[in-house]
Amino acid sequence: MEQLETFIVESPDATGAKTTRSLIQDTLSDLSLSRVVGRLKVFVDPVEPVFIFAALLRLGSPAIKLKDFAKVDMGALGKDEVKIELDKEMYTIKLLNKLWAKYGKDNIEQPDKKVIVVKTDPLKDLDMLRELVIEEPQQEVLDRLIDAIALRIIPEGFRVRKHELSNTHVLFVASEDTLKPEWLAKGKEIIESLRREEHA
Amino acid sequence: MLEPMMYVGGAYKHSQLIELVEDLGGYILQKNIMQSEVVLLMLVPINDLAIVEKKSKELLGKLTRAPLTGSEIATVAPTLAYHHLPHLDCDVAEFLRKQGAKTNMVGLARGVGKRICQLTAFERDLINEHDVSVFILGNYEHCIIEKSKKLYEGIEIPIVVTGAPELRTEDVPNATAYVGNFGRILHHMRHSEELRTLDKLVEVIGKVLDDVRKEIAKDPPSVAPPRIKKEIEEQIPEIVDSLHPLPITLQMNGVRVKLPYEEYHEQIENIEFVEGVTMKEVARVLPSKMRNFILIKALPKSETGFVI
Repeated sequence: MEQLETFIVESPDATGAKTTRSLIQDTLSDLSLSRVVGRLKVFVDPVEPVFIFAALLRLGSPAIKLKDFAKVDMGALGKDEVKIELDKEMYTIKLLNKLWAKYGKDNIEQPDKKVIVVKTDPLKDLDMLRELVIEEPQQEVLDRLIDAIALRIIPEGFRVRKHELSNTHVLFVASEDTLKPEWLAKGKEIIESLRREEHA
Repeated sequence: MLEPMMYVGGAYKHSQLIELVEDLGGYILQKNIMQSEVVLLMLVPINDLAIVEKKSKELLGKLTRAPLTGSEIATVAPTLAYHHLPHLDCDVAEFLRKQGAKTNMVGLARGVGKRICQLTAFERDLINEHDVSVFILGNYEHCIIEKSKKLYEGIEIPIVVTGAPELRTEDVPNATAYVGNFGRILHHMRHSEELRTLDKLVEVIGKVLDDVRKEIAKDPPSVAPPRIKKEIEEQIPEIVDSLHPLPITLQMNGVRVKLPYEEYHEQIENIEFVEGVTMKEVARVLPSKMRNFILIKALPKSETGFVI
């Protein structure tokens, strides 16, 4: 799937829409979110005033577990240890941090760049270690997305906000005054229209 | 009449230029040495400009007019949040600084929103201590106009407003000048088009400052601000130890001295000039709203009856 298949900023104020578009682009690339947002539509009316931000998300890979990038096995015969052989070095630092926190630095050895030995009872901990979650990219991405929308994109004065967030979409309706039901309805409608485009 | 000039050239023999300007009765306001390059901001007597130009040519340097020299400018952002910083606000402040102004950034406490924005008394007084204020506003025409109706209440200095739409100054209420093509920009302004916009802002502020200068020249201050600076540097040795950027900041009709008011105001009031007058006869020494600094405002000729 292409990134940002739909990217529309709608506003009665043409110059404002153009600048808002460039500021959204800047923010998304600053926080490396451009691959996450699939379709995006923004409606701004400074006179009302209302700001609606609706997007369909592509969160990508689910949580990464230890077994996804390493072989986890019993260590040398007769010793209480688990041997982890890494295929990818990318997550080594995060893995080591987690293991240190759990077993203490004394019980972790790294005889080779791609081998980590944990001194623990293999019968008890082997399965648990295989399922150990090293990274949760989806959660991190959502955190960054909220940072981008709520703290950087929506105009600061628009302090009254309502939002919806799921793994597939995000919707923010913001205003300086009390939110009107028709704005919320419009937000929902935009999300629906984006969904229709997605399935078409 | 002194002309604000900027000299950019090699560090080699630049002291000759400094001496020349001082001998001609001009003032060196700022000297920045960056590796082998030197940037001098100075005030040169307008009649002797040709001599200084000749010298700078001889030293293979570049002499340009820097209309922002010797002014203190407040760049005001609605708040100090990601929405405005670090880009745009810092870009504007830095660009103005490069052109010779001293800029102070002011982030308002409640500057956001077209309906709810307001200026506190402290912020108003602080901004009024500067020569010009630059309000950096956002993307939408309606918001800029609505906000301008009330945000600048009580500000007595010229107000330059920036924003995204191209508006005429007359359309923006209470503004002295308006510069478009800015808006809320969240990247470093470095494309040629953006740099041209910043140049435009400098040009507009330069014009506003020239108008202020003309206004001041109608009733000139009894003592020139650079003269105050020079006397303080010579008579109050503690200023050398001040680690603040520009311990004595020049303004159009006074200076800001970055020393505690309680301890030093009497000493400054009693500074003597060779003409036989003391500082308190030609200027008002006031406590500044910025920290506990001292603000000196020169009295106009109409009040004292003489100019030294």
